[in-house]
Amino acid sequence: MSHAFLDGYKPLYFSTTEWAFIRAACARLIPSEGEGPGALEARVPVFIDTQMAGDFGKASDWYMLGPHEPGANPLLGFQSPLTPAQIYRQSIALVDEWCTEQKGKAFAELGPDLQDEVLRDLQARKMPLKAELRDFFVLLLQNTKEGYFADPIYGGNYRMAAWKYIGFPGARGAYLEWANDKGAPYPLGPVSISGDRG
Amino acid sequence: MRALVRIIGGLIVLVIVILLGLMLMPMHRTAAVTNLPAGYEPPAGAGERVAIAADCAACHTAPGGKPFAGGRVVETPIGRIYASNITPDRKTGIGNYTLDDFRAALYDGLRRDGVHLYPAMPYPSYRKMTEEDVRALYGYFMNELAPVEASVPETRLAFPFNQRWGIRLWDWASLPPAGFRPYMRSAKLDRGAYLVEALAHCGSCHTPRNGLTFAEKGYESRSADFLTGGVIGAWPAPDLRARDSAAQRWSDEQLAALLASGRNETAGVSGEMALAVEHSLQHLPKSDMEAIVSYLKAIKQDRPIADASAPRSTPAPTAQQLASASPQLGLGARLYLDNCNACHFATGKGAKNVFPNLDGNAVVTAKQPGGLISLILNGDAIPSTSERPERLVMPGFGWRLNDDEVAALATFVRQSWSNAAPAVTTADVAKLRGAVNTTPW
Repeated sequence: MSHAFLDGYKPLYFSTTEWAFIRAACARLIPSEGEGPGALEARVPVFIDTQMAGDFGKASDWYMLGPHEPGANPLLGFQSPLTPAQIYRQSIALVDEWCTEQKGKAFAELGPDLQDEVLRDLQARKMPLKAELRDFFVLLLQNTKEGYFADPIYGGNYRMAAWKYIGFPGARGAYLEWANDKGAPYPLGPVSISGDRG
Repeated sequence: MRALVRIIGGLIVLVIVILLGLMLMPMHRTAAVTNLPAGYEPPAGAGERVAIAADCAACHTAPGGKPFAGGRVVETPIGRIYASNITPDRKTGIGNYTLDDFRAALYDGLRRDGVHLYPAMPYPSYRKMTEEDVRALYGYFMNELAPVEASVPETRLAFPFNQRWGIRLWDWASLPPAGFRPYMRSAKLDRGAYLVEALAHCGSCHTPRNGLTFAEKGYESRSADFLTGGVIGAWPAPDLRARDSAAQRWSDEQLAALLASGRNETAGVSGEMALAVEHSLQHLPKSDMEAIVSYLKAIKQDRPIADASAPRSTPAPTAQQLASASPQLGLGARLYLDNCNACHFATGKGAKNVFPNLDGNAVVTAKQPGGLISLILNGDAIPSTSERPERLVMPGFGWRLNDDEVAALATFVRQSWSNAAPAVTTADVAKLRGAVNTTPW
């Protein structure tokens, strides 16, 4: 599938290099090769960009006053003084810098295998990211999944592709007649919040 | 030839004299229908009870505005009419009204300065008010309400409706006699008749109007047309008298529940009726509500419903169709599953006392589909009442469905289960999209 839309899309939050990183990273987390649509076909990068430009990226409804203890046990939850958008921006710069030093190219320029290696290192916290940024990979993976499965109204899950793939019927919210037919396939396609029918 | 010119000239002069007379002659004001003894005082609280039963607030209190300070827009077929400030403020309200001025407004539709009120003010119904109630109401507005200084925009209708003297002709042709004369077989039924015909002015919406002057075709139950269904804006105001109308099919308890609490086992009030329940009917004493219900049941007519389609003899297998969730379903059925099924269910029956039943619903099967279309486009709310405090909101779907889709969905519910009403067209929907939303949210 072509990604002409993504090529023409003007990001709301990310810079050109950041946008290249996000597209490349999403494409490795949910690749296009395989049974279902990949993150790019589902326009997941658009979802993440929209979120970073919006309330989530700005941590608008999070408690963001101190005290901050970014090095605290991760079980104690999010402790960074940075907003998700700031974490993305600072982390992408550091990861790209690290890739250029270690592998000779920015992340987006690397081949798929090397990109996977970098992402694995990120996930295993082998990358020297300061404590304030340590949730970067957690956010990236979480936001990629969200963009894949969230309602298309938020920019991802383009044409409900992810829902159709897994057989989720969408925002209809009424399956009373099917509640007792465990395991029976539900024949009707999905519906989105905006009323699009699949 | 000369004779002809003279005759024509004479006729022109005569017409001018009549017109000038119509425009300039002081209006006759109806006198009190009962001579009450000097020093008569209305019972305590009577005025407020009359104001509630007459639902003055429905029009004279603007949404979010101070009580009775006016400003609500009444959308009529001839334009927007602004309800006036009826608090006792001397400058912007009715503080300078004498009892006779006040009665002239209620009975004759005359402002203190002699200007005619538009019959959006239900003076043809209020004319039936007893002198005791006129006195009580006057006392309430003058002495119990605080004056509120609030100017209301002047009503400016297009020609010829801005020529208010024309209302004289209308009054002459349309007004029933003043006062209420008991005519039913019991005091309870007469109380019901008085409440329905005079104070609650139910006929303003539920009685059909004639095509020439838009006057109600009757003002009391002895008229065969009275309460047989009217139209308000795009909404149907259902027939209340036909043997298969909802009001006649329901038990006394169910009818009382709808009027007093806004909902019953199968229905909820919508459109303007929600205001009547919220501001007026829910506050009536139990005895008055019983009188209204008895009266409505007593004026039943043995004929099929006039303003809605008769049900199918054999219901359509809609519930099974919807339950199949088949991709082969038509657009209307698919839209019902996507938008309506969660609350109204495949059976269309909704949930008792919560979600209205669509099967046989008066708004759904009405000949005038505007109420149903408005409900789908804009949603509505069953008001919060003391008996049923939860305000039940149906969301609007206008942002989610285009005109073709609304038409397909409305047609589907009008022709499913036992409903057999004519299809709705895209043009019907287009007319109402973007129309002023008179629903209260």
